[in-house]
Amino acid sequence: MNCIECQESLVDHQEGLLDVTKRNEVDEHLAGCPGCRAEYAAVGQLQLELAARGKAAAGVSVVNRVMSQIRASQQPAPEEAERHALGRAGFWRWAMGFGAVAGAAILGTLLLTSPATKATAAEVMSRGVQAVRQLASVHLVCRVRTAPNDNFAQIDPKAAFVTVELWKEFGDPPKWRVEKPGRVAVVDGQSTLLYLKNANAALKVPRPSVAAFDTGWLHELADIEGTLASELRLKQVKMNITRETDASGAVKALVTVEAKSGLPEGDYLKNVFFNTADTRRLYRFDDRTGKLEALRVYLCQPSGDVPILEVERIDYNAPIEAEVFQLALPANVNWIDPGKPQANGSGYTAATPEAAARAFFEACGREDWAVAAKFWPLPLDDRFKQFLGGMEIVNLGQSFTSAAGPAKFVPYEIRMKNGAIRKHNLALKQHQGGSWFVDGGL
Amino acid sequence: MSMQTDEFELGAEKSDGEHVQHCRNGQPEDFRFLVRRYQGVLFSFLVSRLRGDQSLAEDAAQESMLRAFTQLRKLKKPESFQAWLFGIAGHVAHEFQRSASRRQELAEEDLMLAAEPSRSAEELPLEEAIAALPEIHRRMILLRYYEGLSCQEVAGRLGMPLGTVTKTLSRAYAQLRQILQNNNEEAAVEEKTI
Repeated sequence: MNCIECQESLVDHQEGLLDVTKRNEVDEHLAGCPGCRAEYAAVGQLQLELAARGKAAAGVSVVNRVMSQIRASQQPAPEEAERHALGRAGFWRWAMGFGAVAGAAILGTLLLTSPATKATAAEVMSRGVQAVRQLASVHLVCRVRTAPNDNFAQIDPKAAFVTVELWKEFGDPPKWRVEKPGRVAVVDGQSTLLYLKNANAALKVPRPSVAAFDTGWLHELADIEGTLASELRLKQVKMNITRETDASGAVKALVTVEAKSGLPEGDYLKNVFFNTADTRRLYRFDDRTGKLEALRVYLCQPSGDVPILEVERIDYNAPIEAEVFQLALPANVNWIDPGKPQANGSGYTAATPEAAARAFFEACGREDWAVAAKFWPLPLDDRFKQFLGGMEIVNLGQSFTSAAGPAKFVPYEIRMKNGAIRKHNLALKQHQGGSWFVDGGL
Repeated sequence: MSMQTDEFELGAEKSDGEHVQHCRNGQPEDFRFLVRRYQGVLFSFLVSRLRGDQSLAEDAAQESMLRAFTQLRKLKKPESFQAWLFGIAGHVAHEFQRSASRRQELAEEDLMLAAEPSRSAEELPLEEAIAALPEIHRRMILLRYYEGLSCQEVAGRLGMPLGTVTKTLSRAYAQLRQILQNNNEEAAVEEKTI
């Protein structure tokens, strides 16, 4: 290793992101090079100083105080309140993942008459925003077409509906919990925890996160005010309204919004996750209160639209018990450190994705779990071993990519131990340093 | 293969300029994102300006943010929001210090003795050096240290590969050290001239 290569790796080294081989190479170079040692020390000193400043400021939050004063300064006079314009933050990422439809406000000032029996779709949405301003908490009960054990963002129009429930307390930092049959994620205000029920495995991020574990879209959904406001800011969006009267005689406004993901037709990941899907959203508002009562999301496909998400119940500002934001884990839980991936791909850093896929499958076939574990990011449990042990490769194809992310997909056909043929695409990603790990597709 | 990190979009997060524009276009709630982004580094800056008084610094941070919001239309370069905010915060700190001095002269003397900053008055505060960084470098430093995210989380937040994050951080460190070093050299020249 020369000085340039060493200095290019210093930050990765200090962040603990290098594999053992590379780390040893850097250490060896540092031991014999005073110049690089000095550079390493100087960067380390700066990092220490930054970390100390950040730590000292960690408990400071003026967001709520500043925003409440701004809101107070923005309040219109009482006689103007009913005709106040929309102007809210937030973004509805389902339709904005690739920047194709993100846009500026399209509304200007709306005259809002209440109740809104003749209001336009945009006016009903605006009234919906006003009706849920400054929520303290929200609880959603949803049904989603998704594999019960797969990640929170996964959707499958052919899957059965499963219940996904979300609780959220707004604040700084927020607390929230999302649960589906196979997994649960909790933000308790201090840290973010994911528990995988079947694998009896848990991951912890030692700080609140709204993006960890593929829960970002649910977090956005819980921000009802932001969700509705973001729909209003979308460009190139179709929006229309119908009305119905329920059995009790209450009038409901049904607003439909259609928007595109921005992914090209034929992209492998198009319509696979919420943030890569073309969708049509049907919002139901109570005409008296203006509040959103329910939401149904359809996946738009050439073969026809399929409902993939139904928000059946929304509790606004209902007290949430403290236990909801605490997660009791089994004593024998397998802890996974997200900062130190289980899979290290050691020895396969120079491999092509096809070669990495072959090495992984061949290891599974001969039940060499030590090698298979180099590619598998979770603990190798008995279910995994029973599933893939003794399999044979029938065919591996050329890898391909998606515009939605960095993964390489290797088409495969394998014969399972029981003789069944399985065809799919193995998703592979690379750690920093080039080692491969399996990211899905089994 | 080298990554052209300066040309990267800022992923799912909006830039300072976009938030400023939204606030100006009638979406004042967007200001919360700017407050959240800069409250830590602003507090840190004000602590150094207010001789270690953290309570006063927090109040000054709140006041600075509010003034920034009311004066947002005067901001000519939205991409320089942090540097502009620090300009406002400098005035606020000065006012707070004078006010505190008038109200509590003796007590303040004690405070100054007890909490004198360890570095010299001529030295450029680290936070001002951060404000002088290009936006992508600044955002990475703020996310990594003032929001306490790991490199993996920064990558997720900005929609970038992990390798790009560490390479950009490496450049940001180099620039920060250069800015601080240049300032120290200028300060040394000024001292000699005086």
